[in-house]
Amino acid sequence: MTRSPSWSLRLATLFAGAVIVVAACGPAASTSPSQSASAAPPTTGPTVVAEAEQYPADGGVTCASGGNPGSYDGEDYSGKVQLIEAPDPYTVIFHLCSTDTAFLEKMAFSVFAIYDADWLEANVPNGNALTTMNGTGPYKLDQWQPGAEIDYSAFDGYWGDKAVAPNAVLRWGAESAQRLNELRSGNIEGMTLVGANDFEAVASDSSLQLASPPAGTNLNTFYLGMNHDKAPWDNAKVREAVSYAINKQRLVDNFYPPGSEVAKYFTPCALDFACEGDPFPDFNLQKAKDLLTEAGYPNGFETKLQYRPAVRGYLPQPPQIAEDLQAQLADVGIKVTLDEQDNAQYIVNSNTGALDGLFMLGWGADYPEITNFMDYHFGAGCTAAFGACYPDVASQLTTGGSTTDQATRTAAYAAANSALVQDVPMVPLAHGAFANAYVAGVSVAQASPLSNELLFRMSVPSGGDTLRFMQNSEPGSVFCADETDGEALRACEQVLEGLYGFEINGSAAVPVLATSCDPNADGTVWTCHLRQGVKFQDGADFTAHDVIVSMALQWDAAHPLHKGKSSQFEYWAGLWGDYLHASQQPAAPE
Amino acid sequence: MSDVTFGGGGQMPQVAAEPLIGARRRVLARLLRQRSAIVGLALLAFLVLVAIFADVIATHDPIKVLFDAEPGIRPRTAPCIHLLGCPAVQPQHLLGTDGNARDEFSRVIHGTRVSLFIGFVTVVGAILIGTFIGAVAGFFGGWVDNVLMRLMDMLLAFPALLLALVIVTVLGKGLINAMIAVAIVSIPVYARVMRAAVLSVRELDFVTAARALGDSPASILTRRVVPNSITPLIVQATLGIGTAVLEVAALSFLGLAAQPPTAEWGTMIGNERNQLFTAPWLIIAPGVALTLTVLAFNLLGDGLRDALDPRLAT
Amino acid sequence: MIQFIVRRLVISVPVVLGVVFIVFLLARIVPGDPCVAALGEHANPKSCAAFNSRIGLDLPIFPFIVKHGSSYNLSSDPSSITNNQFVRFLGDLAHGDLGTSVKHGRPVTTLIFERLPTTVELTFYALLFAIAAGIGLGIIAASRHNSKRDLFTMMIANLGVSIPVFVLGLMLAFAFGVLLKDTPFSLPPSGRLSAGLRFQTIAEAWGAASLSGPPRAVLDFLSNMYTVNGLITGQWGLLGDALRHLVLPAIALGTIPMAIIARMTRSSLLEVLGREYIRTAEAKGLRPRVVLFRHALRNALLPVVTVIGLSIASLLSGAVLTETIFGLTGIGLTVFESISARDYVVIQGLALLVALIYVIVNLITDISYGLLDPRVRLTQLS
Repeated sequence: MTRSPSWSLRLATLFAGAVIVVAACGPAASTSPSQSASAAPPTTGPTVVAEAEQYPADGGVTCASGGNPGSYDGEDYSGKVQLIEAPDPYTVIFHLCSTDTAFLEKMAFSVFAIYDADWLEANVPNGNALTTMNGTGPYKLDQWQPGAEIDYSAFDGYWGDKAVAPNAVLRWGAESAQRLNELRSGNIEGMTLVGANDFEAVASDSSLQLASPPAGTNLNTFYLGMNHDKAPWDNAKVREAVSYAINKQRLVDNFYPPGSEVAKYFTPCALDFACEGDPFPDFNLQKAKDLLTEAGYPNGFETKLQYRPAVRGYLPQPPQIAEDLQAQLADVGIKVTLDEQDNAQYIVNSNTGALDGLFMLGWGADYPEITNFMDYHFGAGCTAAFGACYPDVASQLTTGGSTTDQATRTAAYAAANSALVQDVPMVPLAHGAFANAYVAGVSVAQASPLSNELLFRMSVPSGGDTLRFMQNSEPGSVFCADETDGEALRACEQVLEGLYGFEINGSAAVPVLATSCDPNADGTVWTCHLRQGVKFQDGADFTAHDVIVSMALQWDAAHPLHKGKSSQFEYWAGLWGDYLHASQQPAAPE
Repeated sequence: MSDVTFGGGGQMPQVAAEPLIGARRRVLARLLRQRSAIVGLALLAFLVLVAIFADVIATHDPIKVLFDAEPGIRPRTAPCIHLLGCPAVQPQHLLGTDGNARDEFSRVIHGTRVSLFIGFVTVVGAILIGTFIGAVAGFFGGWVDNVLMRLMDMLLAFPALLLALVIVTVLGKGLINAMIAVAIVSIPVYARVMRAAVLSVRELDFVTAARALGDSPASILTRRVVPNSITPLIVQATLGIGTAVLEVAALSFLGLAAQPPTAEWGTMIGNERNQLFTAPWLIIAPGVALTLTVLAFNLLGDGLRDALDPRLAT
Repeated sequence: MIQFIVRRLVISVPVVLGVVFIVFLLARIVPGDPCVAALGEHANPKSCAAFNSRIGLDLPIFPFIVKHGSSYNLSSDPSSITNNQFVRFLGDLAHGDLGTSVKHGRPVTTLIFERLPTTVELTFYALLFAIAAGIGLGIIAASRHNSKRDLFTMMIANLGVSIPVFVLGLMLAFAFGVLLKDTPFSLPPSGRLSAGLRFQTIAEAWGAASLSGPPRAVLDFLSNMYTVNGLITGQWGLLGDALRHLVLPAIALGTIPMAIIARMTRSSLLEVLGREYIRTAEAKGLRPRVVLFRHALRNALLPVVTVIGLSIASLLSGAVLTETIFGLTGIGLTVFESISARDYVVIQGLALLVALIYVIVNLITDISYGLLDPRVRLTQLS
């Protein structure tokens, strides 16, 4: 997202500069910038100490440049964040090593929610942070009954619109039929992930309502992958044959919920630049057979179709879809045996390139930007699932992700997409739709494309006081900085907020705890102005110090608060590249 | 788990070592007088016929996906029976189509073959091993008996399904592995039956006489002892087939036994378990088939037990 | 009598040891790398080396036997006699340490503590249903042997044994949770409590919230059985709601034992009714009902006791399926979950737990049978 530097940015910098000057010349000034002056006299506003702060305190991070790795404190550092500074209690400035076109979307991601620094210090070391929360959000966590439910009640001191329903409950049930049962029996008001076959039933039931995300925002992709370093996928004609061999429309029509689309590009067209360049070819059985003959397999060949049973937005019915692909491939002459693997093992196998057959996999957006889809799979540090990276694609992606200029990005992604059609590391098949279901009287029923349903806006019909919502599974913990599963993130999102957030029912990033975050000309420095007068649920004030600590504990592997359920904080490295003191990153879950 | 009733030693009829034809006829007559046994037998005969003539009865290939053959067909379509008013333009599917647009009726019919196969083979396997263990334990007694029976106790220390679950996880998924797991889990029952039979007969006069005459243990076992244990074994086996079918179906329901595209009832229910409201027939049809099959064996087993137990002579 | 009990206890010991051994073995043979299952995408040689060393997976399995991947080698390292996984496992066991679940990040004992009450409660009510309905049906059938009533009740019993738990559970959920939704007969199709129901634990209700340690643990365990909690603390709303949620799973789970008990009651009662002392009682002019209940039933119920003990196995097995269908987070569901996730620490702990429960139940059954029937005691001792 491009923003031109505004006059407000200049004003803010000026103001920050003035504050620093004043502080430095102040009466009780000491030379160390991290020492505070004596506490300001009590005022009606929040009592904040006028200190400047930055992380790391010595500011000693050097970025990678000209082929040399970046470094910090004697170790290599390849991350994107160079410095986070808080010149005053209501401003936080992020200095990045390179442009980030998705800064706001990343800040809106629930993993980067802001915690109260004092609360963190009291609750992370003893593990309370895994089961309790203290946020700025509209609901506060009352009780987590393990295995049963999470109870919330409205936070009266919330800075924004108070929660509509005084109480909320989050429950979970693994089967969509079970959730629908509960909805129909009146035990819950809302549920996620309606089963593919239940859409019509819910839509036609006047006591229920089907909530779908905005049309065309299916931010996921289902694809059939091949490792081109392994036979027979090392034969380019074989891969090309596969790209013609699948009747994608048949899959979408019969196994996906209404609203799903055939995938012609890897990235869903809802995202900018996703559908530039050449699309993947349409289904053509004869062409597929001819290509196979040209490749040297006139009678086809035998291989495996590998998949895992986990239901995802991109894969609503794994066994049925696998069996249909089996039938379709048989028509072309490729005889596959189904190889269903364990959920976790499958991901490891894909990450290590061990999947040697045709494998079914997909991707759901973490944040709504093309870099989230393309870079992980085909960029410079591409996943090993498809074999060695394709340099033609990777270089275009690097270009596309390091500038904010529209024309350059369009050209780069067009070239990348066309290259993908030639190289065929995988064949994109579908973008899966999903829907949530609610009782008819619930208002602001939500189906967030990013699994970001916010309960505080929803009302309980017939004047009840508790909104009960059912998701797929129980959160692993509620210390979401260290979680990756959407089921945990949803539990946190009711209580915690970040600098930005995603709009209700949409995928645009909107300011939440920050009133705005403004980039400089090349998108390497983002200045965030924080909302004032915000309180945490335990009464503490929200200031820049909280932002710094919330970020630092994830960023720095040596930080005393770098401690969670697994203490991996995966999303920090996934989205920002690397940790400070990476050698101290725990190798195994605590 | 089926219970075992077994007549105490002293009360068994003095059946000679070689079964008499007359005794068999009497048993049969008694059997037929048990109404539940008749129902069970009839049901079983019906199932066996269905299994044998599955190819003829089924209307389609059970594993063939019909998207090409019937353009416009959708998965999970409702049953369409022309006789009952379904328009003739729609292709006839007596039980509709399953989640992959295959004919459900044909899959249920062919499932009979799979289930009967599962039941018989599993139980035969368990019997072969179990009776051997039980006979050895009962005949030799002493520490052999102790060790073997403690081993059986250890197997019995785990609930059947859980142990089978773990065994299948170790061996890997698949129908054969599931059958092996269920067979292993069923061995102790037959071992105990056989051992009890051996114990009861061991002290009888004609066995002592045979030993005095110098007959080897093996020949005594096979010619004198085994025929006397046939009765409870048959009863237990009949009941055991039903149990084996149920347990493998449960493993299939959990996704661990029959693999696609095999048409097995447990897998079919497991695949469609979320469709209870949208396509209940996909659960009800194989569910009824499974219940009827197990019911047949249970009724027959009950009837056999009643018929063969002289104390309940009407 | 004491001799009898002691003898049974002594026989159980090798069984328990054998069970421990089998459990240990099974958990190690389960294919799939536990490091991979635990760390998922973060599993690489370095992190796995650290993980294995922490869990102790790099030790030999038994004295002199080392496992590499899926192959087993012999090693001649004498220190492996005491420094191996089995010894370590036994040591942990002696301390009551069953390991830490990798999927849940909590100790297995904690998990068991949290989830066992659910299964115990469910099993209890299923057994209650099975005994009440089973004995009732059995008596009805036996009182008119070979009549239509007999046939009918036996048909029901047979159906009960034949219908798979998962099919029955789904049908019941559909019937009572959806078809009968707005009627007074509706029952919740899943879960243990209605969402949003607030209640107090026993400790809180008795003002002992600051209590800790074993007494607190016991109280929390009892609190987690919601019907017990409701009963003890007088929270009738909690009791009622919990019972309503238990009806369908208890029936689904208890149907098979019910059928078995019914059949056993019937056949045992028939056998007793055929005995001479019954004919004497009838000849004395006693009414059939008195004959049945006062003279026949007591003796007839002895084998039924054995069967009840045996049905615990069926209940524990069926709990896996019932808990899955009704969304109850108990031990059964955890077993299946941990097998799917290769959480072998939990598999091990739960297998041990289940086996121990079963051994104890068997022991109790044997002892009670011995208490009830003097002949058994005396025969066993000879």
